Amino acid sequence: MSKKQLSAVFVKMGDKVPTTKYDPNVNQDELIMKQQRLIEKEIMDSIPLVGDKEDFSSLEGEYDGDDIYKQKVKNLAKNYKYIRRTRPDGNCFFRAFSYAYLEKLIDDREEFNRFRELAAKSKENLVALGFPQFTVEDFHDTFMEVIDQVGKHHSVLSPGAPAGEDLHKVFNDQGNSDYVVVYLRLITSGQLQRDSSFYQHFIEGARSVEDFCHQEVEPMYKESDHIHIIALSTALGVGVRVRYMDRGDSAEVIAHDFPEGSLPQVHLLYRPGHYDILYPH
Amino acid sequence: MANIAAQRIKREFKEVIRSEEVAKCAINVELVNDSFTELKGEIAGPPDTPYEGGNFVLEIKVPETYPFNPPKLYLNKIHVRFITKIWHPNISSVTGAICLDILKDQWAAAMTLRTVLLSLQALLAAAEPDDPQDAVVAKQFRECRDIFWQTARHWTHVYAGGKFLLNRWYK
Repeated sequence: MSKKQLSAVFVKMGDKVPTTKYDPNVNQDELIMKQQRLIEKEIMDSIPLVGDKEDFSSLEGEYDGDDIYKQKVKNLAKNYKYIRRTRPDGNCFFRAFSYAYLEKLIDDREEFNRFRELAAKSKENLVALGFPQFTVEDFHDTFMEVIDQVGKHHSVLSPGAPAGEDLHKVFNDQGNSDYVVVYLRLITSGQLQRDSSFYQHFIEGARSVEDFCHQEVEPMYKESDHIHIIALSTALGVGVRVRYMDRGDSAEVIAHDFPEGSLPQVHLLYRPGHYDILYPH
Repeated sequence: MANIAAQRIKREFKEVIRSEEVAKCAINVELVNDSFTELKGEIAGPPDTPYEGGNFVLEIKVPETYPFNPPKLYLNKIHVRFITKIWHPNISSVTGAICLDILKDQWAAAMTLRTVLLSLQALLAAAEPDDPQDAVVAKQFRECRDIFWQTARHWTHVYAGGKFLLNRWYK
């Protein structure tokens, strides 16, 4: 969502505020949550979970009159041809990552087989770590169904829509799409807890890794930081290159590879608070 | 979406019904309507608390976005018609609204009705007065624990069917 759109949302919300008088009998907590849900609904109604592939020029258009960003987009365009936007709902890293990776697996049968095996085993690992079998199974089943839908297209005889179209449909169906996000959150949490002595150093404050997972990883809509990306990419053995585009002075858009030194299979664009998918030339 | 919520809650319903805790009468759920959008939960007041012997009924509403958003829970009264009353720092003595992190921003889809009911029962055993829902109760809890205990005990007796175990200094 562009800054312009976002501010439009807030102005709309703001219009209603002056008419609300403080009422001590009303639960203020609930009012705040209600307003938050309204903002979320605006975003939900205006931006798809995963958008269509767009030419890079659409990104340039967003920054008319902003020289720093314009230059950065130009530099980025040397490496990337398309962008695919995701809904900014706090789940964007997980959604962008899984979409981009599964899309890649459509054309990479060998990698698909490796990943499918790993994904199939992941449930037992989570249950062994103490995650409740009842719910883990629920999310794992859907996760495997989505993966197998990609695999189905490796069979030459398979009829039906092109693989990319199917994937796009699944990821824009809120139920399935969110199930994939939940499962990736569980895998991330599992990885953090399995290797907690390492990850503990990256957690601010006095929180334990387990607390951090309960507060910042497992709940939906919680935004992802480096630590989430390192854990997920390590757990799945999938390299991610993130391009960080912020208001820094450098005209280059800094790239970070996770896990360090890996070969990137997925490319993401980070702008403060949000991830979108990038497609290299 | 609604379909996912209904499927999931049906399975969770079974999970609770078959759980050990139901056998021990610690928690329970019942259907209110056939569409699984509304349920009635029950938790037994934990031992060695002023809620011991009480039976606390919860109104559970399942949002369409379940399990990605938490179920909405309110404490309701059993036999009597009016709204339930429980004297606890993290539960509104007026509306029954509950302040518990997993019912707000720490809800994770991997949790279930069963874990929610057990967490609530744990909340009755261990209040968190630093994160209160009811400021008056929380203040009393911090400053005059004896009076708090007596009031909570009394409310349990009057509103939740707890045994008459009034402290002899009380009243």
